[in-house]
Amino acid sequence: MAEQSHDGGIAGHLHYWTLKFDESNPFMQIHLDTMLVTIVVAAGMFGFALWLKGRLVEGTPSGAQNFMESVVGFVEDTVRDNFPVHNPLVAPLAFTIFVFIALVNTIDVLPAFLLGHVAHLFGIEHFRPVPTNDLNLPAAMAISVFVLVLYYEFKLKPVHFCKELLMEPFTNLVPVFLKPIVMPINLILKVIEEIAKPLSLSFRLFGNMFAGEVIFLLIAFLLLSGGPVSMAAGFVVGLGWSMFHLFIGLLQAFIFMILTVVYLSIAHQPVEH
Amino acid sequence: MSIDLTFIGQIVVFLTLVYLMKKHLFGPLSELMQARAQKIADGLAAADAGLEAKAATEAEIAAQLEDARGKAAEIVASAEKRANEINEEAVNRARSEAEGIVDAAREEVQAELGRARQALRDEVADIAILAAERVVEAELDASRHSKLIDGIVSNGFGNA
Repeated sequence: MAEQSHDGGIAGHLHYWTLKFDESNPFMQIHLDTMLVTIVVAAGMFGFALWLKGRLVEGTPSGAQNFMESVVGFVEDTVRDNFPVHNPLVAPLAFTIFVFIALVNTIDVLPAFLLGHVAHLFGIEHFRPVPTNDLNLPAAMAISVFVLVLYYEFKLKPVHFCKELLMEPFTNLVPVFLKPIVMPINLILKVIEEIAKPLSLSFRLFGNMFAGEVIFLLIAFLLLSGGPVSMAAGFVVGLGWSMFHLFIGLLQAFIFMILTVVYLSIAHQPVEH
Repeated sequence: MSIDLTFIGQIVVFLTLVYLMKKHLFGPLSELMQARAQKIADGLAAADAGLEAKAATEAEIAAQLEDARGKAAEIVASAEKRANEINEEAVNRARSEAEGIVDAAREEVQAELGRARQALRDEVADIAILAAERVVEAELDASRHSKLIDGIVSNGFGNA
């Protein structure tokens, strides 16, 4: 392929550290870099949780506890504002999504090739440090949320949900004899509408972070490879983009979280008669 | 950019992380914050209750003070009344005693006066008898005429 032949270019940096189980089946492979970084971040979060749990104080919080309490309070407020009923799973889910995505996105602020170079030292050819740039991570989270949404839709209002699948949006607009004909159309539209949720959820995060990384690579290739002036300009632009990208990473984490809450909240809305 | 086994791995990592975060970070922190919020709310409620109790106690104190003041005034008034009574009693007693003393003195004076009058009368009678004796010594017998002279003296000096 053109990308692979152009090994020194941007595309050359967009390969994953891949372990293939079956060459003929593209599904049977695993991105070791994505798995490694997410597991390290998750283990870090778990370790932090255990460390903090041991030193929680009941009185006035300080330091890490204070910071985490403000995050927890922020997430709880967001969930409380959007949710019609209390569900003990939603707030921890939203919290995990927000913190995990924000942490993972923040890795992108590290210089573009740093972790790649570190990986090269260990003899790994390709290494992509930011797991949100790998569609697998956003898709995994979005699908998990989607399955959860479907679970609550079927658990809380099964009849209403099935009725909505078949009857919305056209059934009430057509004469009685046309109703059976529009039902499949309704079903198709509704299925598309539902599938659009996890798709948009995952692609939004993936696209933003992937584009951010590509722009980092562009800055690196176009500016840092030139003379001293170009290098300096590249450094300044790269720094500016880092800050902006940091903000985008945080924003995407927040968007993912709030949409998760909103989708689950829709599933929890009581049926209107 | 492809969906592969990483996707499955990520679901496992994500769900495990959600469970761990719920159990070890979010849950404890959330409980702690709720407990603290409850504690603060309780404290504020207790403070309000304390203020109310204080106001009620102050009102009670004021009422009791007013009551005590009234009772004290009553006691003072009754004491004054009793003092006046005692005073009056003492004055009355003194007055009656004084009257008694005056009466006794008057009686004594009367008795003394009677006694003096009697003595004078006796003496005048003796003098008269003596004078009469001297004038009519030869003719008059003292023992025979003394009764007569006593009668004269008694009549003559009775109005003196």
